[in-house]
Amino acid sequence: MTVDAVYLLQLTLNGIALGLLYALIAVGLSLIFGVMEIINFAHGELLMLGAFAMTFALPVLGLLYWPALTVAILAVMLAGLAIYEVLLARLKPDEFERSILITLGLSIILIHVMQYLFTATPRMVDSQYGFDGVSIGSIRITWTRIIGAAAAVAAFAGLYAVLRHTQFGRAMRAIAQNREAALMVGIRPRVVARNAVVLAAGLCGLAGAAIAPIQLVTPYMGQFLIFKAFALVIIGGLGNIPGAIVAAVALGLIESWIGGFFEIVWQEAAVFLIMIAVLFVRPDGLFKRGGMRVG
Amino acid sequence: MKLALALLAALALAALPLLTASNYIVGIGISALVFTVAAAALNLIYGFTGLLSFAQLGFWGIGGYVTALTVVTFGGNFWWGVLWAALLNAAVALVIGYPTLRTNRHAFVIMTLTFALLVTLIARDWVELTRGPLGIPNLPKPSAFGYAFATTGQFYWVAWAFSMAMLAFLYALCSSRIGRTLVAIKQNEPLVRAQGISPMPYKLAAFAISAAVTGAAGGVYTFHLGIVDPLFLDFYYMQTFLIIVIIGGAGSFWGVIAAGVALSALPELLRFSADLRMIIYGVILVVAMFVMPSGVAGWLRERQLARLREWLR
Repeated sequence: MTVDAVYLLQLTLNGIALGLLYALIAVGLSLIFGVMEIINFAHGELLMLGAFAMTFALPVLGLLYWPALTVAILAVMLAGLAIYEVLLARLKPDEFERSILITLGLSIILIHVMQYLFTATPRMVDSQYGFDGVSIGSIRITWTRIIGAAAAVAAFAGLYAVLRHTQFGRAMRAIAQNREAALMVGIRPRVVARNAVVLAAGLCGLAGAAIAPIQLVTPYMGQFLIFKAFALVIIGGLGNIPGAIVAAVALGLIESWIGGFFEIVWQEAAVFLIMIAVLFVRPDGLFKRGGMRVG
Repeated sequence: MKLALALLAALALAALPLLTASNYIVGIGISALVFTVAAAALNLIYGFTGLLSFAQLGFWGIGGYVTALTVVTFGGNFWWGVLWAALLNAAVALVIGYPTLRTNRHAFVIMTLTFALLVTLIARDWVELTRGPLGIPNLPKPSAFGYAFATTGQFYWVAWAFSMAMLAFLYALCSSRIGRTLVAIKQNEPLVRAQGISPMPYKLAAFAISAAVTGAAGGVYTFHLGIVDPLFLDFYYMQTFLIIVIIGGAGSFWGVIAAGVALSALPELLRFSADLRMIIYGVILVVAMFVMPSGVAGWLRERQLARLREWLR
């Protein structure tokens, strides 16, 4: 088989876009795990809510992309705040299994309420950019994809700056590294946990809103993504944010390349095989966690 | 006393097809029996050993497919199919259990979840073996010694005998020294180590046995449905098993059995639409986790203790 360079480039670009999408979800999960030591099973449903918010906001706002994106992100952050205050705030840091079961219940409720209200029919939404795009040689990329990828990269840069240089972010890292010591210097875990959940929800909302104009929106769209995001968080090392980003982009590329040359079953199985292999060699994930590291 | 009651209940359950001619009700009975077995297997690994395993869904699906393929593709019969399902699942559980159990319990939960997803994808995408989304329809009803279990009522006896055997086995296991060791591992692993017991073989054995039982249950259930397709791996089944275990009381053998029979029958009898039923399941799950985290059995035990304390005062 001869490898066509254009085809390979196209696969690579698709892989990066896919990887950035995974990364937006996995980073939020990692952030929440770092601060609260729990896993949010309903994280994929936050993405779904973001996508739905985008499909409703775009027509109302006259197909303007940026205002709709902002509205969608704010809506999902609000949902994250509500989820934290109503459910997650009642959890203690060591209740991992309980957190999974509670957020699993929440995920079931969200999926089926959305399906009940809006039916399972896939929705399409148009934006001001439509299907316009740029051409590089014989490859065409739509603006919506480019903006989505750029927004993801910008979000990671922003997250890095926040965690590294603001009191807001330093408090999160402090809680993740040593809970008791953080308490002693006057950091309130409840406030920090709420901030982390809202921030993670915002990232998820961005992911959902960015893919709404690219692919079909259904109540189930979050479910398959979340399973992969879980695996990525494990591969990258639980609570390790750069680890999750690296693992996510790498997986996006690997999946895209495998999908281009082998049968689809291998593309889907890749994440699982990689996870088994990584856990055999390094039981704590590729980038071992020592508190929450951001760089 | 408890055992005598259980025996009576088992015999009463056996009489269901004699009491009603309705295939619908007998079908619910089969579901209740098989789901209870799968929930009891989940209880072994989650309730007793303290490892939350989502892989049960994968084992359930593998069991269904292996049993169906044994009969349809490899020319065996139903009984061998169920046996193969159990054996293959135990082997798979050992292979994925070993690397996963070495890590922490967080990684275990997520690994098992991803495994369940992987099985779903294989069922859908490995078309040469599983026939993809079309599934394998028209599974023949089993027969033994020239007697065919052709109708739903007759198949009920198969499901009944199967679940009674499995539940008896699980009860013997859970109430033995092994069962107590598993509970000890859940409650305080360092202490178990300090007593000179290595937790790993116990955890692996519990995982493999729970996988084998779940797989066999899946095998029986496919032959009740008469078809196996990727929908057999719907997350709905996992949610049902989990809710049975949580409402019944994780770690309580009889609590889970009672919840299994009650919760499999209730939604069917109340006839909710599928969406509404799932919403109610989700609400039950969230509320139960806050109001009674140790299930009905745990709640009763706490009340009993409270009364005892009151009486002693």
